[in-house]
Amino acid sequence: MLEINNLHSFYGDAHVVQGASLTVRDREVVALLGRNGMGKTSLIRSIMGLALPQVRNGSVSWKGEALIGLKSHEIAKRKIALVPQGRRLFPSLTVTEHLTLLKSARATEGWTVERVFELFPRLAERRQHRGNQLSGGERQMLAVGRALMIDPELILMDEPSEGLAPVMVQHLEDIIVELREQGLAILLVEQNLYSALAVADRVYVLETGKVVFEAAAAALAEDPASMTRFLGVH
Amino acid sequence: MTGINLFQILNGLTFAALLFIVASGFTLIFGLLRIVNLAHGALYLIGGLAGYSVAEATGSAALGAVAAMALVALLGAVLERGLMRFVRGAELRQVLLTLGVAFILDDVALVIWGGDTFTVPVPPMLQGAMRVGGVFYPKFRIFVLALGVVVFAALWLLLNHTRLGALIRAGVDDPEMVEASGINIRRVFLGTFMLGTALAGLGGVVGGAFLTLYPTADAEILVFSLAVVIIGGRGSLVGAAVGALLVGLLNSIGRVMFPELAYFVIFGPMALLLAFRPLGLFGKAA
Repeated sequence: MLEINNLHSFYGDAHVVQGASLTVRDREVVALLGRNGMGKTSLIRSIMGLALPQVRNGSVSWKGEALIGLKSHEIAKRKIALVPQGRRLFPSLTVTEHLTLLKSARATEGWTVERVFELFPRLAERRQHRGNQLSGGERQMLAVGRALMIDPELILMDEPSEGLAPVMVQHLEDIIVELREQGLAILLVEQNLYSALAVADRVYVLETGKVVFEAAAAALAEDPASMTRFLGVH
Repeated sequence: MTGINLFQILNGLTFAALLFIVASGFTLIFGLLRIVNLAHGALYLIGGLAGYSVAEATGSAALGAVAAMALVALLGAVLERGLMRFVRGAELRQVLLTLGVAFILDDVALVIWGGDTFTVPVPPMLQGAMRVGGVFYPKFRIFVLALGVVVFAALWLLLNHTRLGALIRAGVDDPEMVEASGINIRRVFLGTFMLGTALAGLGGVVGGAFLTLYPTADAEILVFSLAVVIIGGRGSLVGAAVGALLVGLLNSIGRVMFPELAYFVIFGPMALLLAFRPLGLFGKAA
């Protein structure tokens, strides 16, 4: 469904994605692992069509259509959603306003405000709170809810478990599994290896901007040598 | 020393209302698009003069105001789509570009209307004076005060209780995430730019009726608007209202009590404020 081939992206002269290739298939959770600064976020930003880093070479194709050169709102219209690193909620918007930027609160097709509130009952209780008045876990729920409102078929999640309490990480894993059961594909950037292995079907390891290892999640879990070599896990 | 009386306070309040109308447009554009639009004063002047011509031709000041807003919003659209897109994100270039546009618009105004002073005609029902708390005060200036309140209320409702308003606020917070959520932020930018410039046009007609319009009126209103926005904080509607009240009252009182220091009375406190709150009273970091 999503096919990235030999992608090269730059921040000015800094070559941050150096020929990465990967695929995400229908209804698949794919984890993108790697140490800090290895280009995971840059790769996600390149897929989403954000202004930086600048893509200079390679291709991103989505259901056969080339995405490079499209603006990020056009990519979102093609049902690819972003849950960015650090959540990036809008501090001056209420919970409900976050969910109704694109769709009216009365919309009935696809994901609706009510459906998001069913998935995250906590958000319903906080519906009039502003983005900067939520707890860390609530912020992450809202970031996922905001992404769902574009009716995505693929969600790019950039370190969703970062800074969350273990119980919230567990909740997030349940949500990811549930979303896949509902038919979504997820490309998950994750520092927390065990959280990634808990939900992913396949994993890629990124090192200095390219994929150096690829395996089924179950296979990696059984392969301590690779875990040590690529992820520094002992 | 002359004391402060109700008359001067009313002068201050009505001037504040005009400043708010002009500066609210300025702060909308500054807050969302991060553009310091130095052509805002020139758009005020062009709007006022166009409103004057339409009002003279049709006998209707209301029609003049509508025409001025429409014309200036159109100029705003041309400016945003035709020029500003080439300097997006480059603040110094934006400032220089809008300053250049201001010079050109000033000269265009000079060519079309000449260097005379114009007063936009006040509708008959708003002419004359009325009694306010023991002083006779021009009806039209009371109307301006009411108009300022109405514009504030309308903008407040727009920003806080409509989806477009939520989009504008989200765009002030994080335009990239708005776009990644599937919204063409460029359209929101354009709409906001047109709304902001239309308010300059409305201000031109209103200001043209009680301050009159002349070739340097644009620079004067621009300096006051800048002060209002800097004091209130970029992109904040409430900040623009509070800033306008402060500047309007300080200006009016300063002129009476320390006429030789009139500007200092505004810009002295402004400098002091910035020393402690660099983002203004209601400003937020980008």
